[in-house]
Amino acid sequence: MNLDACAIAGGVRAGTTSARAAVQHSLDRIAATDPRVNAFTSVLAERALKRADAVDLNPRRSRMKLAGVPFAVKNLFDVAGLPTLAGSKIERDSPPARRDAVLVRRLEAEGAVLVGALNMDEYAYGFSTENTHYGATHNPHDLSRIGGGSSGGSAAAVAAGQVPFTLGSDTNGSIRVPASLCGTFGLKPTFGRLPRTGSYPFVASLDHLGPFARSVADLALSYDVMQGPDVADPACAQRDIEAVSDKLGQGAAGLRVAVLGGWFRDKALPEALAAVDAVAQALGTTRLIELPEVERARAAAFLITCGEGGALHLDDLRTRALDFDPMTRDRFLANALIPAAWVMRAHRVRHWFARRVARAFETVDVLIAPATPCVAPPIGTEWLDIGGQRLPSRASMGLLTQPISCIGLPVVTVPLWGLSAASPHLPIGVQLIAAPWREDLALRVAAELESQGLCSAPVAPGL
Amino acid sequence: MTAVDHQAYIDAAAATLGLRISLEQRKGVALYFGLAAGMAELLQGLPLTAADESGNVFTPVAPEVDE
Repeated sequence: MNLDACAIAGGVRAGTTSARAAVQHSLDRIAATDPRVNAFTSVLAERALKRADAVDLNPRRSRMKLAGVPFAVKNLFDVAGLPTLAGSKIERDSPPARRDAVLVRRLEAEGAVLVGALNMDEYAYGFSTENTHYGATHNPHDLSRIGGGSSGGSAAAVAAGQVPFTLGSDTNGSIRVPASLCGTFGLKPTFGRLPRTGSYPFVASLDHLGPFARSVADLALSYDVMQGPDVADPACAQRDIEAVSDKLGQGAAGLRVAVLGGWFRDKALPEALAAVDAVAQALGTTRLIELPEVERARAAAFLITCGEGGALHLDDLRTRALDFDPMTRDRFLANALIPAAWVMRAHRVRHWFARRVARAFETVDVLIAPATPCVAPPIGTEWLDIGGQRLPSRASMGLLTQPISCIGLPVVTVPLWGLSAASPHLPIGVQLIAAPWREDLALRVAAELESQGLCSAPVAPGL
Repeated sequence: MTAVDHQAYIDAAAATLGLRISLEQRKGVALYFGLAAGMAELLQGLPLTAADESGNVFTPVAPEVDE
């Protein structure tokens, strides 16, 4: 599907196309491409067509912001009638969800139509979506490579043109990493901005939900529709909706932009550095900022993840450890054992770091950093050489995202192309990072880069 | 903690929590526990004071009352 969500909704609102036609096109594209991509774990054709017909008959159709726009969600979102798998075999035994997740309901209230659920790393613990139970999700731009994770299906479905936008989750980088590797736009809002009610948690202290899309306008539109408090998620801020769609046209004019140095350059391969430098040049900045103790911030996120993730699954680890994906099992077992003092100190370091970074934002509006150290590695890659160190490939995909989500900053990931000498067909993403609650600034910069033609998210050719 | 201490701790903590770690899982669990221990050591190197308490907030839950 080459039209973006704004274009589809515009056509359905105007009556030049129908929601049914848009949804049927999406279902056909999924049927044609998913045997190779493996983005979907469930396709909801009957439900989707029924809802599409309801949109076409709805007297409010001409005012619905997402009229007839097909979308899909990572399979940790509740979908009425389906068990919420969260990428696991274990949750197949869970009772079906009684209602859709809050964000799904908000999107469908504006005319969007859910067409399916998407593959992911088990319990969101991974950066590669090489899921043993449901198979690996393949990168639509090179089927021999990973699509990133843990929201791998969410990025791949957009890159494959199966749907114009999807939802995923990001605890340590799980929106930004697959957006980077699959060449889509992605938004991880401020921690606490979007309610997580009706989604399967990974690390409640760090979990964020957000959209993937092929245009900045679609990111902003879906984000605006999803905003608003929800008391059922204790981490959700009780903030009014702060719409961003009408601000995109302001571009980057007047914004103070800087490149992140230190850790964020040391852990990046040449293609990632070239992407950041291209963005900096396009925005006319040569300013470099170094944040303090980034490695420790990453360690804090790592340990909070261990402590909460391990404790969440303790009962199943006791009784059915062999049902976990071998890709996660030993890590969850180890995590269940770590001392509480390590986790509590990690929370303190997290706050220490957040205060220091807030000072940096007194003199800058948007910070630029690579989203991943490199382009997508081949499926099955175990090791990468980064900065002269031999590092585990899968965990290293989050080296540059983890310190940022640790303190809940909003980030838009934008895709650039042709920067890897060895793999010029592959994209790589750049993080545009703003101060808490300033998603608008990161999205304005993303819109500027998109309008200059530097960043784009084309449908993968030849699928 | 040294690597030897890790294994002793892992065995004791697993028994305390009711986790059975098989021979096949033992190596991986030790590897990942060691990674976490390295991260913890890194955090220990940052001087913190009582003013750096995290302040993680619990929000009391009010009953739902029909108006």
